Order: sequence, then C-alpha cells, then structure tokens
Amino acid sequence: MPADAKPYELRLRAYQVGFGDCFLLTFKYERTRRHVLIDFGSSGKPPATSEDLMLRVANNIKDSCEGKLHAVVATHRHKDHISGFATRQGKGPGDIIASCKPEVVIQPWTEDPRLRPNARSATQRPSRRKSFTAGLQCMHEFSGAMLKELARLRPGLGKGLYNQLAFLGEDNIKNKSAVNNLMKMGRRHLYVRFGSRSGLESVIPGVKTWVLGPPDPEQSEEILKMRSKDADEFWHLLSLTGKFISRSDVGALFPTAESYSTPPPQTRWLIHHMQSLRADQLLEIVRALDDVMNNTSVILLFEVGGKKFLFPGDAQWENWTYALSKPAICTLLEDVCLYKVGHHGSLNATPKSLWKLFKNRSTTKSAARLQCVISTMSGKHGSASRGTEVPRTKLVEELKKESDYFTTQELRGKKTFFKDFDFRLR
Amino acid sequence: MDQSAPPRQRTRRITIVALDPSFRVKRGGRKRILTTEIEVPAEVLAPGPSGYRVQVIDYDASTNTLYKPSREVSDGGRPDELEDSQILSDPHFHARNVYAIVMRTLARFEFALGRRVSWGFYGHQLKVAPHAFADANAFYTEDNQALMFGYFPSRKGMVFTCLSHHIVAHETTHALLDGLRQRYTDPSSPEQAAFHEGFADVVALLSIFSLRDVVRGVIDLRSKRRDGIFSHSQFVSAAALTPEKLRNSVLLGLAEEMGQELSGVRGDALRRSATLIPDTRYMDDPEFREPHRRGEILVAAIINAFLEVWVKRLRDLGRVSPRGLNRDRVVEEGAEIADYLLTMSIRALDYAPPVDLQFCDYLSALLTADREIRTDDSKYNFRKILLESFNRYKMPPTSKGDGDEPGVWRPPRARMRYERTHFESMQRDPNEVFRFIWENRKDLELFEDAYTRVQSVRPCLRIGPDGFALKETIAEYIQMIELQASELRSLGIKALKAMPADTVVKIYGGGALVFDEYGLLKFHVHNRILDTERQTKRLEYLWQHGYIQKGSSLYRRISHMHRLRALGLAAPRPNEE
Repeated sequence: MPADAKPYELRLRAYQVGFGDCFLLTFKYERTRRHVLIDFGSSGKPPATSEDLMLRVANNIKDSCEGKLHAVVATHRHKDHISGFATRQGKGPGDIIASCKPEVVIQPWTEDPRLRPNARSATQRPSRRKSFTAGLQCMHEFSGAMLKELARLRPGLGKGLYNQLAFLGEDNIKNKSAVNNLMKMGRRHLYVRFGSRSGLESVIPGVKTWVLGPPDPEQSEEILKMRSKDADEFWHLLSLTGKFISRSDVGALFPTAESYSTPPPQTRWLIHHMQSLRADQLLEIVRALDDVMNNTSVILLFEVGGKKFLFPGDAQWENWTYALSKPAICTLLEDVCLYKVGHHGSLNATPKSLWKLFKNRSTTKSAARLQCVISTMSGKHGSASRGTEVPRTKLVEELKKESDYFTTQELRGKKTFFKDFDFRLR
Repeated sequence: MDQSAPPRQRTRRITIVALDPSFRVKRGGRKRILTTEIEVPAEVLAPGPSGYRVQVIDYDASTNTLYKPSREVSDGGRPDELEDSQILSDPHFHARNVYAIVMRTLARFEFALGRRVSWGFYGHQLKVAPHAFADANAFYTEDNQALMFGYFPSRKGMVFTCLSHHIVAHETTHALLDGLRQRYTDPSSPEQAAFHEGFADVVALLSIFSLRDVVRGVIDLRSKRRDGIFSHSQFVSAAALTPEKLRNSVLLGLAEEMGQELSGVRGDALRRSATLIPDTRYMDDPEFREPHRRGEILVAAIINAFLEVWVKRLRDLGRVSPRGLNRDRVVEEGAEIADYLLTMSIRALDYAPPVDLQFCDYLSALLTADREIRTDDSKYNFRKILLESFNRYKMPPTSKGDGDEPGVWRPPRARMRYERTHFESMQRDPNEVFRFIWENRKDLELFEDAYTRVQSVRPCLRIGPDGFALKETIAEYIQMIELQASELRSLGIKALKAMPADTVVKIYGGGALVFDEYGLLKFHVHNRILDTERQTKRLEYLWQHGYIQKGSSLYRRISHMHRLRALGLAAPRPNEE
C-alpha cells in the first residue's frame, strides 16, 4: 500500500469563535498532511476577546495547514458558520482563507447558483428546488427588512427581546461578501444533498465520507411538510412586505392621511401591547426562517481507521428525519466516536432518536467512550423561560453524563482560542 | 351626522366592501369593487369609530404610525357613490368597514343566544387595529383584547385584510367564541383547535347569505369568473343551482383575496372547505390533524347540509319559468335557510361541553339546540340532514339520543337536589350555582378533589316558531387538577413512558348545565376529569406536540396557528428532548 493511501492520525482543532462554528480537520499521512476546514463563522464573540479574533483564527488556520487547504465545507449560509469567509479589501479573514487555495468547496444543494431565480441554466428538476431556493432568498431579504423595522420598534421593547431579534436577524441576512468569496475560492464546487458524493474522496484518500443531509424536496416528505408551495409563497409575500417597510420614503401606509405625533393617552396601552406583539411576531417569523436555514445544513460523516466522526452543522429535526428513516444509515451511525454537537446544543438539533443510536455512549470513562464537542456560547440564542435556551441545559446534562464532553466555552484565555483532539487511526 | 343627539332608530346602515376588494363586478356600466350596506346596532359613536362594544384604534406597529380617526362619524355614503380609489386609500373607510362587520357579527350572536355576549377578557370594548402591521395575517388576541388585521403588498397592489368580509367575520367569531367558551383556545386535541377555526368559517360563510342584494347579483357567478357581471336578471338558471355549482360559487370561498396571494392561483380560495367531498377517511388522515385542515371537515359537513336543504327547497319550488327560477325567491330561500342554520350553530354552543370539545359533541349540541326550540323538524328536515352529513365524514353524534330523536343529549338520569338552592339566585349567581353543583356533586359525576369554578351563569330568552319564549339558564363550570406525571396513575390515567416523573400536568373537566324556565336541570353536558381514556389521549397529544414544554401553551394561540398554516407546518415539532 502506498505510504499516503491512508492517514494514521486525525487532529481535530476546535476554535473558540463565540457563538459559531470553526473546525479544522488535519489528516496525517506518512508523508503529507491534508486539511479540511468545516465552517468559519461567528455571530457573537466571546467576552474579553479582541476585535481581531477572526483574523487570528484565520491566520492560525493558515499556519496550521502551511498555506494550503484541501477542502472547505460551509455547512449552510448562517452568519455563525460563514462570516469568517467575508473579505475586506484583501485584509479580511476570508482573504486569508482564500489564499490557502482550497481544492474543493462543499456547500448544500441550496447554494447551487444554477438554482437562483435569475439563473439561465437549470438543473435536471428545477421547479421545486428553485421554488425552495427562491424562498431562502426571500428569507434573507426579510431578515434585512426586519432589522430596519426592529429599529423603529426598539424604544418599546425590552432588552432581551430586542437582542434575540437582532441576533436572529443578523444571523440570517445574506452575508454577501462571505457567499461571494466561497463561490470564488476553490477549484471545484460541490453542492451536495443526502446521498451525494461529497467530493472529498480525491483530496483525503483513505477516508470514506457520507453526505447524510440535507435532503432535497424530492427526497424528503418531511422537508416538504416544512416547505410547502404555500410556504414558498408566504416567504415571497414577506419579502415583498419587507421591501415595502424598509423603503426609506415610506413613513406611513397612507402618506396623505393625518397621524398623531404624540399618541393620545387612551391609545397608549394598545400601542405598547402592539409593539410587543409585533416583536413577538417577528421573532416567530425569524425563528421559523432560522430553522429552515439550519435545515439546509450539510451533514457529513467521516470514516477512517475504524473510527467515525460526525459533523451535522446546524441540522435540526426536519433535516435529520430523512436520514434517520433509513435503517442502513442508523446502523452506520451506531459506532460514531466523535459527535460535533448540532446547532450549538439547541433543543431540536440532537434528536433523541439520533442520540440513542450512539453505542459508544457510556456513563463511565473509557478509551472508547463517545467524544462530544460543542462550539457554543450561552445567553445568545433562545430563552430558558421558554425552554429554548442554547445550549439547552437538559441536553448538556445528558451529554456530560454519557460522553467525554468539551465545550469551546472552556477556552477563556486571550491566547487560548483552540483545542486539539488527536485520534489515532488503525 | 350629529353625534350629540341619540339616534332614533335601533339600527343604522353602514356601507362596507361586500366580499373583498379583489371581487369586482360590472355594475352600472363600470367594473367596480362590490359594496353593500349592512345594518348594525345604532349607538352614539365617538371618533374611531368607538362604540359601546368596539373601539377602532388605527395604529400600525410596522411603521409606528397612529392615524387620526375621522372627526365626522359618517355611514360611508351610499354604496353606488364610492369610488374604488376611495375604498382602497381611505383609512377612515377601512375603520368603518371593520367596525360595521364586527358589530354585525356581535349582534348576530346576541340575537341567536337571546342575551348579551361578553368578550373573553375583562372589558367591554374589543379593540380593533385595521392596519396593525405589515404581514399576511389577521387574528384575535385575548392578551391584547383586540383584533389585529395585517396588510401586505401583492403583485397587484396592497392587500388589506380588514377589507375582507370573511376575514373580519372569522376573526370576530374567534373573539366571541372565546367569550363564550374560554377553554376552547387551550391546546387539548387537534379537534378543539380545529373547532375554533371551523366554527369561525361557518359563521363567516353563512353571514354572507344574509346580504341579500349581494347574493342576488352574484349567486350564479362562478369563482373562476370573479370579475363578472353583477346580474340584474330576474331568473337564475336551474343549472346554476346544483350543490356542485353552488359549492364553487364566489359565495362559498373563504378569504378570496388572501387565498389568491397565498396559493398563487387566481380564484382559488384559501380554504374552500365546502368542496371537501364526503369521505369517512379524513378524520384518521394525518394531513387533517392540522387545525385549519381538520376544521374544514366540520365546515364541509355543515355547509353541505345547508346546500342540501337549500337545493331541496328550490326543487320543491319547481321551475316557474323556462328561463329558470325566480332570482328573488332563490335568494330569499337561501338567506332564510342560512339564517336558520347560523342561529342553530351559535345556539349549540350553550349545549356543548366547556372543555376538550370534539366534533361529535358539537353535533349532539347542534341537534339538541334545535330540538329544544323547534320540536317539529319537518319544514327543512335539518336535524336529519345534519346527522347524515356528519356521518358521511365519520362524525357520529356523541349521544345516542333520547329515543324519539337520534343524536340529542339525554336529560340527567339522577334526580337532582334543589332544596338548598334558590330559584331566583340560580339564574344569575355563580355562588348559588356552585352550591347546587356541590350539593349534587356525586350525581353530576364531579371529582371532589379538583379545583372547581362556575365560570358563568347566563339567563337567556329565545323565541320559538310558535311565538312562545323559551327561557333557559345556562351555567358553565370547569374542574382542574394539577399533578406530577408520577401521580397520574392514581387517577387511572396512563403516564407516558417518555414523560419524566416530575413533569407537571393539568387535567381538566367541566360541564354546561342547562336549566329550564322552572329552574330544573334539563341537560348536563360534560367531560369528566376521571374519563381516563380521554385524559390519556389528551396527554399523549399534548406531549407529542410539545405543548407540555415550559412556556409553550399560551403562546399567541390563534396567531400562531395561522402562522403554522401559512408555513405549511401541521403542528409544532414532536417532543424530541
């Protein structure tokens, strides 16, 4: 067997990026090393971190891979997964990553430029996929408009509600610079769905990879439930509405009608309640679109040297349901030895039905015990009073009980911004 | 209009958009939005309009604008005088439009029930925001004591939900139903939530038929020809008066304007329930577990019964001219039958259990409500036809009937004790009714250890077809007990394996007591706390759909339900924690 046919060790480097994901996988071969970057984004920096955190991470990635990345995986379009790919006139973190000239860039099928509403060429079965991706586009537009509407509502809102809305709105805007950079970098681009070839086979020899998500509309009835044709139309309407609301010249719906500059006392109770109600509604909408976006996450499973490593991005229950409906996939997942906890430890991203499959779970320490790695930051997403806090307390308790648990929140020092996990491979 | 002088009439006429602004007909040589005048209770209005039960406050949260109300409280001018541009661009017209439809719906409920109807919150005036926010949604919100109507841009211009007759009547019905049965908005079963939606649709649909001048002009206009000609012909072709044609008429589609935008199909309604052909499989079909979808089954059963009665009456009238049936007669029959059924449907609420309602319970309530006021069913055969129609959708009545009449509730078997209660107080005093309940708790099958509260006592007066008054007193009580999952077994209720032992759950029971004019109990329509099979099913549903999770149960129920529907989500995610 050639010396570089199979890696003998895998190093996983988990970066502290606050609320976000950034993982560098280094496959060590006898003569070479090959590097795969999975996500690079943040939507909330850890406390007491300097402003240039993302630049420091980018430089560290470049140093670690000696200036050459073999693959970049951007699991989905959320800011907390791709903001690091943004460029800034040659000096941004995304410029540094692009300079590492990745061979392959892997993204979900929803990012396929051929599915854009104005695309000339179409894929084989364009209509449902196109409708879906048009819906995603509308969600980005709505998020942008929502942030403008939120600015108007701000005086009437509590800090907690405002922060949640601003966080979700920011996370779901288009991240144009990062998206464009991802399109430009890499020799090959693969837009994957459940069952696709990952495209990693040629760049990391000896490593098997499976794409377990996202399913596309044709594949999954579950995802159809979430994204019916009505739903696509709904997002389209919201996007139109957002455009109307965010137009700078729109002061009111009926510009010539008389309005109050100071509301009369008898109306203030309702106005105050309506502002909160509107914020609640916006939160409901951005949560829904946030879920849809999370469910476009690429789920990747690596198998090498008798070990399996699972990276599900932010996939939630709807995304997982399709893969978990296949008995062969369930069997495949049984002996996972490393699980990158989905969606920063949210309520719905580690379905019980997935967790129960992992046979390496154990309440006692051992070499074979499941390793869980979570990149998260408390207090950014969801609320404990509604049982939606991220990371979800109940889930963390379970992970701690039955696995070797590591959270990037443990990386607190100014200089300590990553942790390595080494896996010896057979 | 002079605001200081009290109006002499008991009603006033206000001009409204008849269906919705997308519905335009050629009238007087021009294609225009169809408007009409409706009658609402007269009152001395304040600017808003602001009246004794409804207060319009035109605040737009999306643009943070509070529009000034019109200082003149006019009735909107005659329908023929209104230009489309004025209808669409005048917020004062919009405010009057919602005020009028809300008041008309309220008046319709009060007429049917023979008493004043309260809102579901502590207050007398329901607030209405006709341009609440930029969003394709409209809903009733109890927390805000208000109806909210959104607006949104479409390909053809701005869509105002406050100008859709169906939507305003539908949302007002939610508010009224909440006033009559507060626990119906609780997550309980797919059917209870579906009832709120289905019932609101039934009221909205049947209300339209009383707009005789509108029905007269558009009855034979198919929904696919929405920009047709307002007919002044004296006759309606017999071919247009089949159940199938009427089902597809513009009169039986709900929320046309929103429906078109959401489905992208012109002329297709958001929820065209009446076209749901009878089938016994819907009730078990997972697709019909989503509240709006399940509500459609209820609407279909009731509207199909309406059509059957109407068409049968028209057939009996015979073909009076080779050109068809006399248009006025057709409309008059339709209005009368719709009116009859609407009254029956609203009255049935008094005979329905106050918690955990199922469609089958509602059918028994419907049949009983009608039988009590009109023993002789021979004019329309409505009870027979409704029973058959519900059965076609696999919704048999909960009660087997009392021997003479299938499906109606049976009177209580046990003899009640009245010695320690007073007739007069029993007609209005919740404490007195509670005493009656407590005295008779064993015979009424109450659970002694539960928190029990009489929610309302309502004397009512209804006029029967024989001209005599039917006097009844309707009292409603609920029972509630809070337990940990580990304690459920002690009540015979199965705890779910997945549910942690310390999960706190609330178990509800309750009943409606119908007393006759002598103060004697006629009916006790109830769901017991100790109905273990029902409670187990309810807990399973709540757990599986995440309703027992912390903070999930009260989350803007109706608004949320509408949103789930728009997103194509049948229900919250299953409990995967």
